[in-house]
Amino acid sequence: VLHTTRPLHTTQQSLAPVPPLPEKGGEVRHGLIPEEFFQFLYPKTGVTGPYMLGTGLLLYLLSKEIYVVNHETVAAASILTVIVYAVKKFGPDVAAFADKLNEEKIATALAMKNEAIQSLETAIKEEKKEQWRLEGRNYLFDAKRNNIAMLLEANYRERLMMVYNEVKKRLDYQVAMQTLKRQKETDHMIQWVEKNVVQSITPQQQKESIAKCILDLKALSKSAHAAV
Amino acid sequence: MNLSFFDQFSSPSILGIPLILISMAFPALLIPSMGNRWVTNRLSTVQLWIINLITKQLMTPLNKEGHKWALVLTSLMIFLLLTNLLGLLPYTFTPTTQLSMNLALAFPLWFATLLTGLRNQPSKSLGHLLPEGTPTPLIPALIMIETTSLLIRPLALGVRLTANLTAGHLLIQLISTATVSMYSTMPAISLLALLTLFLLTILELAVAMIQAYVFVLLLSLYLQENI
Repeated sequence: VLHTTRPLHTTQQSLAPVPPLPEKGGEVRHGLIPEEFFQFLYPKTGVTGPYMLGTGLLLYLLSKEIYVVNHETVAAASILTVIVYAVKKFGPDVAAFADKLNEEKIATALAMKNEAIQSLETAIKEEKKEQWRLEGRNYLFDAKRNNIAMLLEANYRERLMMVYNEVKKRLDYQVAMQTLKRQKETDHMIQWVEKNVVQSITPQQQKESIAKCILDLKALSKSAHAAV
Repeated sequence: MNLSFFDQFSSPSILGIPLILISMAFPALLIPSMGNRWVTNRLSTVQLWIINLITKQLMTPLNKEGHKWALVLTSLMIFLLLTNLLGLLPYTFTPTTQLSMNLALAFPLWFATLLTGLRNQPSKSLGHLLPEGTPTPLIPALIMIETTSLLIRPLALGVRLTANLTAGHLLIQLISTATVSMYSTMPAISLLALLTLFLLTILELAVAMIQAYVFVLLLSLYLQENI
């Protein structure tokens, strides 16, 4: 937008920002004649002035045969009819289409801008949320600390338990040894006593005891017979 | 002034100065150039849309090499469209009714496609002279036929455009003359002729646009074969 064609130091150097386009084009009457012409003639000839001028001009050209009516006239009439019909019928549609194209162009650019703004705002919100999350870090550290303390405590108790179990195992062993020893001693004594008693029974005593037992049994059987 | 039927086809000149160049350059003045605005007025928007449409249509079947021809083909299309459509207005001279101009457009462009093909891929572009799947005895005759068809292409392009437009303009002239001359004696026939004229005008509008399109399309087809 550099104004390369300006004469020496007459206008601004830069052509940007350009002034905005006017909303509507120049006013035209009957699609051909600008409105300014009618306004120009209005003070002198009023509303019908330009029309009178037009009609007079046309009739002058026709009557003096400055414009000759020939086959081109008919061809002109037909092509102009077609053109006017086409413009009247499809004009608004084409205008709407052009407007739609422009609207889409602007909308795309606006959408890009809005998207960029949205993404930046989301980023800001996320950042703020992260900063808020940061405030809770003390709780996190306390929880972690507690966790570790519990782990340590559990480990200590475990080891204590192990020590206790080991000591108990050794003591149990000692106790078991002592009991075994005593047991063996009593067993041995009982066996010795029994052996000596059996040895001390002479054959004479054995016969006497057997006879006595038989007599006792007979007596018992007699009393039993009587009971029955 | 009194016109004969062929006055509209004579090259315009004023006081002996030929105006043919001005009449050929005139349609370009009707296209507003893109100013330094991002959002333009309706005319520029529609014009830009049309040019985009034409370029996309022409360039889709071409490979990347062929995209070098985008400017030539699109500007040719716009030129032919405008000259043909402007020629339908009364008392206008249509440059495309002159065989000289159409041949001057067709011959160099066709020749350019041919030379591109022969230079870059000679066997492939010569291979186009024989369609696939022809029975062996027919091959010599077919080669001759295809060569003739190839060499006649510029003539066909030029003459097609000239003939279509000249015929159309002449028909309009004749039927308008019929309408005018029978207006006093047999008004009913005159009215019938006028109706025919309307229909013919619509046909001529279509023909003007179609012929421009056909010209450029055929050129792009020749380009596709050879690029």
